[in-house]
Amino acid sequence: MKKLNLLKKIVLLGCSAIYCFPAFTQGNPTLSDEEVAFVAITANQIDIDQARLAKEKSRNPQVLQFAETMAKDHQAVIDQASALVKKLKVTPKDNAVSRQLLADAATTAKKLRSLNGKDFDKAYIDHEVAFHQAVIQAVTGLLVPETENSHLKELLQSIVPALKAHQQHAQMLQKQTTSN
Amino acid sequence: MYIVWIIGVCLTLSFRSFWVNHENSTPTQHTVAIKGMQFVPAEITVKKGDIMVWTNEDLVEHNVTAAGKKNWASPPIVKGQSWKMVIKESSGYFCSLHPVMKGKILVQD
Repeated sequence: MKKLNLLKKIVLLGCSAIYCFPAFTQGNPTLSDEEVAFVAITANQIDIDQARLAKEKSRNPQVLQFAETMAKDHQAVIDQASALVKKLKVTPKDNAVSRQLLADAATTAKKLRSLNGKDFDKAYIDHEVAFHQAVIQAVTGLLVPETENSHLKELLQSIVPALKAHQQHAQMLQKQTTSN
Repeated sequence: MYIVWIIGVCLTLSFRSFWVNHENSTPTQHTVAIKGMQFVPAEITVKKGDIMVWTNEDLVEHNVTAAGKKNWASPPIVKGQSWKMVIKESSGYFCSLHPVMKGKILVQD
């Protein structure tokens, strides 16, 4: 029974990340550039926060190194986005998509905090695979098409290869955590 | 007359040897761009003693680390910066921060 509950937690973790973004892409929300910028910064900040949690809870050197890379890379994106919006004199604006993202992230963090050891590592890495997949879909299917400013659009497009590399890295670790 | 001829041949051979050795000792510099989370080109053929330069054109930090023995590695290379190394042997390499990024150096004799 305990194992079944744990399995449910892990499945839910993956699903929450998978479905939060596509729910919006299917509904075709209209976002201004200010809102797109806020969503992009929020999504990156969420992954930095999850990485901080992993650095607190994991003892696996590969998971810790992955978390360190996530924190650094997503901070680099935030720094670049912040510099761009400042240059463009755009003020990022809170919106329904970013609020939903934050709500999902809070649920995920709560679930991750309840796990320890290998269970935590597996759940965190599974979440990272699903989260990056969802973000890639959101950037290419929602944020880029919604963006009018060419510089902001270019920045969003430029982060897609990094998101894909992160997802593939997480998938590599996923195979290792599954085989251990 | 015979001595002059011998000296002439020696001088010619010495100059030839100097120029050949000089030509061989001039290393070629090869550049690999790190962009779009890839090493471009991913595979490169060089001569022993040539110089490889990796330039990071990405937003995020990378490094260059020898695959297998991991007997050499660059420090972190931030956006816009480069790192170079004299090539002594063929080697695979990767970015240890993003292990899906891989490259290969082939040394041709």
